[in-house]
Amino acid sequence: MAFNDSLREMFAMIELEMRRLRHDRTEIYTRAVQPILWLAVYGTVMSHVRDIPTNGIPYIDYITPGVLLQSTIFVSVFYGLTIVWERETGILKRLLVAPASRYATVIGRAIASGVRAVVQALIIFPVAILLGVKFIPNPLYILAAFLMLFMISGGFAALSIFVASLMKTRERFMGIGQAMIMPLFFASNALYPISLMPPFLQSIAFVNPLTYAVDAVRGLMISGNVANVPADFVAVIVFDILIFTVASISFRKIIE
Amino acid sequence: MASAIEIAIEIKQLTKVYDGKVNALDGVDLTVKAADIFALLGPNGSGKTTLMRLLTTQFRPTAGVARAFGYDVVKDDAKVRKIIGYVPQEMSVWTDITGFENLLIYAKIYGVPSGQRKKSIWDALQSMGLDEVANGPVKKYSGGMIRRLEIACALLIKPRILFLDEPTLGLDPSARKAVWENLRSFKKEYGTTVFFNTHYMDEADLYSDEVAIINRGKIVKFGTASELKHSLHSEIISFSLADPGTDFKHPSTAAAPPRMLPGILERIKALNFVEDAAFNDSVLDVVVEDGEIALPAIIEVLRCDGILLDRIRSTRPTLDDVFLKYAGMRQPKTQGEVLHEASGIRQ
Repeated sequence: MAFNDSLREMFAMIELEMRRLRHDRTEIYTRAVQPILWLAVYGTVMSHVRDIPTNGIPYIDYITPGVLLQSTIFVSVFYGLTIVWERETGILKRLLVAPASRYATVIGRAIASGVRAVVQALIIFPVAILLGVKFIPNPLYILAAFLMLFMISGGFAALSIFVASLMKTRERFMGIGQAMIMPLFFASNALYPISLMPPFLQSIAFVNPLTYAVDAVRGLMISGNVANVPADFVAVIVFDILIFTVASISFRKIIE
Repeated sequence: MASAIEIAIEIKQLTKVYDGKVNALDGVDLTVKAADIFALLGPNGSGKTTLMRLLTTQFRPTAGVARAFGYDVVKDDAKVRKIIGYVPQEMSVWTDITGFENLLIYAKIYGVPSGQRKKSIWDALQSMGLDEVANGPVKKYSGGMIRRLEIACALLIKPRILFLDEPTLGLDPSARKAVWENLRSFKKEYGTTVFFNTHYMDEADLYSDEVAIINRGKIVKFGTASELKHSLHSEIISFSLADPGTDFKHPSTAAAPPRMLPGILERIKALNFVEDAAFNDSVLDVVVEDGEIALPAIIEVLRCDGILLDRIRSTRPTLDDVFLKYAGMRQPKTQGEVLHEASGIRQ
């Protein structure tokens, strides 16, 4: 019974996110501007620097998975803001008085954020094709890449909810969010191979879940080298389970 | 069997201590009857919101027991959550979707079967008078409409107990009236118990069956609104004496005040139902327990002394006075202060 209640709440949270998105799509479009600039401006300029070893892949193509993930993860990392807002209003109190268990609220919201991320990526995807990025025309690979995108975004949204449950105010949350996003992006293989990094940064990149997500999406969409993909999925699943658990446990604190 | 009164909420020695030092609730005992509208009055920081949040299973008490229709709010919290509706003090709807969609999401969270969903939603919208604006975005609603939508969300599952934390805070009088009229008719139809926090005395007076006053984490007074008002037993009757300087002179009045008044005062004070009496300017204030009984006797005394009356005004204590007395910071008073305080009531 309790499980059913929780499952229902999770689906309701996803539906809520979709309905919000339908009422106001501007956010999706405006958020697409930055990644498109990364590809069109940064990618174009940097592709003239031939020192970055990309295994013969054009540089724009090389960074497309990273940029795609960065743009969706940006949404997720700041998803906690919604929770902070709902805490300031009475919405969270009210959800906690509903029959579902508390972890359902956390997981439901994190998954909802993952769904939002996929929608976001779907906007950038065709633009990348227009910019001349060559994707591997295998629908299964593309599907798997989007699954990875969904999983990592959900995980980062849970991380964001966890941070929100500790920070509780918008200002403190924004500070932490900003501090998280850049290192996350630069200490990963999104823009350059890990082998180019100094050892210290390499060890951060090694524990950065984004590295595994980028590796999988790059293998599936661009390079076709899928040998590491199963290991990447395992890494991200472990990350998701860990962070969903931590966020669910700490969620109690948010209303106190 | 039929005469037994069903208890909706039973609270025994409920205590909540924050951070090991602040006693938000300090041994609350309270019983709320089923199908009653119950008002919890208290100044800011008195513990009324804490009490409501404990009853709605948001967190656990430090000590004590609370039950909703027999379910313990700690041990059977999942069961409690299924029979209650709750509207927090702060805004609690999503403003970027429509009113209907808000209810739809809640209907899904609460597992209203899909066959009944539409009907339940429209019933709730209608009971709060929102059916015409249901498909508009909530961000365009007025404060009163948002409040009614929040209540509609809580009514969706036809809860046995509805908890409302300051339900009409910040609403204009007509919006407040609309909220209460809708609530009352819903309550009439479904027999819902309503437990609400407020510091609007008139609201508690008009709409509640029973009232409790909470102060510093303790229930300091409990009863119906009229019982509480009677507990002050200090109705004041003010007699404006006719001005002896007017053209129309009664032979005996001209000489009456103020010289003769002390004697009259003594006689009035000696009356059974009179607690105190005093004379200011040309107004005689008499504090009585029950004006309807005392008035004829006092008039009789005044007549015997040949005093003419211009006007008689009676002032009964309001719930505000009750609130100030039990939740204010005043010390227990001596008999001599009764009048002083009672005359303060009118201001």
